[in-house]
Amino acid sequence: MLAGCGGGKNSASKTTLWYWNRSLDDGFLAQGNKHFSTLHLQPDKIAVDFKPKLLTTLAGESYVPDITNINSDIATYFPDEDQFVDLRDLGADKVKDLYLPWKWDLGITPGGKMVGFPIDTGPTAFMYRADLFKQAGLPFEPDAVAERISTWDDYFSAAEQLQAKVPKTKFVANITNVYNLSLAQSPKQYFDKQGKFIGDQEHVKAAWNHAVEAKQRGLSARTSGDYGSDWSAAYSAGGIATLNDAVWAAYILLEGAPGTSGKWRVCHGPGAAGNRGGSFMAITKYCKRPELAFDFIKWLQQPSLQTKTYSRIQLFPSATSSLADKTLAAPDKFFGGQPAGAVFAASAKELQPAYYSPYEAVVSDSFSAELLNVESLGKNPDKAWEDALSHARREIKHLGVA
Amino acid sequence: MAATQAPVSIGGEAALVRPGQMSRPKRFREYLPLYLAISPFYIIFAVFGIFPIGFSLYLAFHAWDGIGPMRYVGLEQFRYLLTDSDFWHSILVTFEIWVISTIPMLFIAMVIAVLLNTNVRLRGFYRIAYFIPNITSLVAIAIIFGSVFANSFGLTNAFLQAIGAGQISWLSDPWGIKVAIAAMVIWRWTGYNAIIYLAGLQAIPSDLFEAARIDGASAIQTFFRVTVPMMRPIILFTVITSTIGGMQIFTESQVLVGDTGGPGKAGLTMVLYLYQQAFTKSEFGYGAAIGWGLFVILILFSAINWRLVQGRSGR
Repeated sequence: MLAGCGGGKNSASKTTLWYWNRSLDDGFLAQGNKHFSTLHLQPDKIAVDFKPKLLTTLAGESYVPDITNINSDIATYFPDEDQFVDLRDLGADKVKDLYLPWKWDLGITPGGKMVGFPIDTGPTAFMYRADLFKQAGLPFEPDAVAERISTWDDYFSAAEQLQAKVPKTKFVANITNVYNLSLAQSPKQYFDKQGKFIGDQEHVKAAWNHAVEAKQRGLSARTSGDYGSDWSAAYSAGGIATLNDAVWAAYILLEGAPGTSGKWRVCHGPGAAGNRGGSFMAITKYCKRPELAFDFIKWLQQPSLQTKTYSRIQLFPSATSSLADKTLAAPDKFFGGQPAGAVFAASAKELQPAYYSPYEAVVSDSFSAELLNVESLGKNPDKAWEDALSHARREIKHLGVA
Repeated sequence: MAATQAPVSIGGEAALVRPGQMSRPKRFREYLPLYLAISPFYIIFAVFGIFPIGFSLYLAFHAWDGIGPMRYVGLEQFRYLLTDSDFWHSILVTFEIWVISTIPMLFIAMVIAVLLNTNVRLRGFYRIAYFIPNITSLVAIAIIFGSVFANSFGLTNAFLQAIGAGQISWLSDPWGIKVAIAAMVIWRWTGYNAIIYLAGLQAIPSDLFEAARIDGASAIQTFFRVTVPMMRPIILFTVITSTIGGMQIFTESQVLVGDTGGPGKAGLTMVLYLYQQAFTKSEFGYGAAIGWGLFVILILFSAINWRLVQGRSGR
């Protein structure tokens, strides 16, 4: 935008790649650089504020990376799909069958342009403290637990039984987690494909009701936020018995509550399978050699490397053959030697595809903020639901402007 | 001192050449190195200061998602701003946090400054010790305070429990959140203000204190009748800087309670709201409009401050 930035356009010889820590394996990037010697890959690990920085370069039309990682909010880029190369034009469909169909579709805009190439996924499952379940007289072997909590009603009754027998322990960290996980199971989210707001419908209300029920039955440890120090401290102290969450949350738990290692097991959660998170690789329109860049992406995300990346940095694969690989079925010490990866892999395969609009983030806050009021301030849930809806509708009306 | 001396000597040399005798281009060439020497500040200020200010004003009349084309919407963003209950709420939150942080902070700072102004030992050490919080990384502080005020396993709650007072869910309670944020501000800025007050105290002529002592004034009388009136300009300075700082509280809230501002949006300050709208909801036009709303409030509030502190001195 200003004179003086003129020399900053991407030079043809180098290919820049933006990613954040642990969204790609550094070792394979180096290997790829040797493998594609004409690519001259220059990977930049962006430490903080990845998205604002990417938006800034795209808006300024200079220093835009040739290849960039995009997080699970990929749909927010869809209104600006012209900024990216359609990977289908580069022959992406030839490798389509190698990847989970729902993950593949998440990278495609409503207009049919393929912006994002699958990296990892975040299938959800139900993690629980087997020792506490045993103490509560509940089943504690994974298959039996999965059966005991197969529906949300079963889940709540098991929760009450556990809390009655193990009085100092709560069943869930907070009710927002219950809401998020319940909604993640739904193929419908806040908008339909025509852009109509459907957050006032049954599928969202059902997730809301699950959260409210967790509150009313007193199942929540009311941690302030997820994955922070309060959260870790509560799990470390055995204050929370379960974590119904995505596979990556297990690694945060492992780091936050290392003392509980070996006591955890994992099984299919209540209701259906869900997904939270998982990123993509995209090629921007500024890339001088998109074919070569795409060859590199295909190479980096080939199933065998996805499997190895999983064992190196725990990025959960999106390639179907990687999900079936024996690496994922290896015994996991944190889960007492249970092959935990296989449970999450089964969840990934079972998942029903969901539609995420570019504007999920605009309205989702309205709901989570009101749930927080229900949990922390004891706000009447019906009033909170009404307030969440009117707040969300107001935000959507503003979108007509924004 | 070196900085104030330099222009004097340059002026002296220039006077010797008698500027009137030189032609304009020659004079320009003569002064060019000087302009070049001071230009980096102005260039950087233009690029990173003036341009963003102008651009944000332009942006406030548009709807923009940060990448695609901007759409002109006239005053629509400002109209929405005025009717946005979250915006008004964020103003209230900001002022509440400002009040419960600034008043105790300036009071404690003054007490510390007066104490440091007496003949305590290790004065230099104390000055450094009180100033260190000010140069500590804000995010690091916020993370530590997050642990200090954590609901179930925090330090304050451990202490409260030890003395049998029971627990407070600091970060789940609207006032708890505000107190935690205010505590962070106080911890960080008290020393800074104390150092400024100390400088002010040392500039008060000692004969005033001697006169007060001869007239038989008590220490408290001396403080309120001599020290405070003499310090009025310094107090005004600290009030205005704390106001500007307090109106811009962001990191403390964001790290402590997240982008949404926590329960009851109790930590949703004006700048956090701006950030949330622009960077998490990608509504940059509206974010810019909030920025200008913030600007108007800052101007108004600084003017009120000025009148309050300056007006009473009767000048």
